[in-house]
Amino acid sequence: MNVTQGKIHINAALILAGAMLLGAFNPPAFAQNPKLDIKNLEPLAKKASEVVDVNLDGTLLKLASKFMTDEDDKEGLEIIKNLKGIYVKNFEFDKPGEYSQADVEAIHEQLQRPLWSRIVSAQSKKEGETTEVYLMTPSDGGTILGMAIIDAEPRELTIVNIVGPIDIEKLSSLEGKMGIPRLGKLEPAKKPEGQHETQK
Amino acid sequence: MNPFEEKLRNALRRKAPSEGFAEKVLARTRGLPQPGEKTWRQFGAFLALPVLRWAAATVAVCLLIVAGLVHHQRQERLRREGEMARTQVRQALRIASVKLNVARRRVQEIGRETPPSRL
Repeated sequence: MNVTQGKIHINAALILAGAMLLGAFNPPAFAQNPKLDIKNLEPLAKKASEVVDVNLDGTLLKLASKFMTDEDDKEGLEIIKNLKGIYVKNFEFDKPGEYSQADVEAIHEQLQRPLWSRIVSAQSKKEGETTEVYLMTPSDGGTILGMAIIDAEPRELTIVNIVGPIDIEKLSSLEGKMGIPRLGKLEPAKKPEGQHETQK
Repeated sequence: MNPFEEKLRNALRRKAPSEGFAEKVLARTRGLPQPGEKTWRQFGAFLALPVLRWAAATVAVCLLIVAGLVHHQRQERLRREGEMARTQVRQALRIASVKLNVARRRVQEIGRETPPSRL
């Protein structure tokens, strides 16, 4: 190794150390972003038997709202009115184990405090299903900035990311409307006040 | 003064123009083509050709048709994109609503199964 190569190695080591220090003391840059980076899930599309990939930014939502003129669209239109984006990835697989825990962890890493908080986490160990609902709210507790739903089942993985002030009550009440199946009797939901974590 | 000189003097003697000479000259110059006027007149005559009129009208109609087609295609593309976006919104809201309600239902079920003392 000559002197020049040695300097290059030292500089690279310094840069790496600096980056590690920054990473250690600062939360990830995307942690505060209501729009999640879910590109890491794209390779799963090849393994999936069915894929739903929705990418709607503010412009497309505005365009869509101009065409949501049916009576059936009324409530949906009310929900998307002030949203800045809706991103959904839903993969259905023929057999279990087609996605790894690391795929889900990459999403979890972005849903960090202080702005993101998990309001619901329902696990069914028997069926191996986990559903989590996260909300991003400003530190002063004002309007919701975004929402994320992670639903991980053995043969299905769903990530929903809604950017903007989403009304959860209205979204929940869409059941039985707009072609959305009714899952059964559900008691009126209360507004999220804190974290509710339950395990089955 | 010899006779030649006499003839020359008579020929070069200043004479007053006849009455109305200037008006006659002006009247004649008015009828003459001005510089460049000929070209324009020829161009005007060329434009006045019936064939050319038809050609111009055809070009204008073609342009209108092309502009109309482009506008129609743009509107059609916008409509298709809008319809597609609407379908995607409905699909996204359907998935989001279902998953949200599934989570809530699970929590409620667990809440019912858990004895109050353990809550």
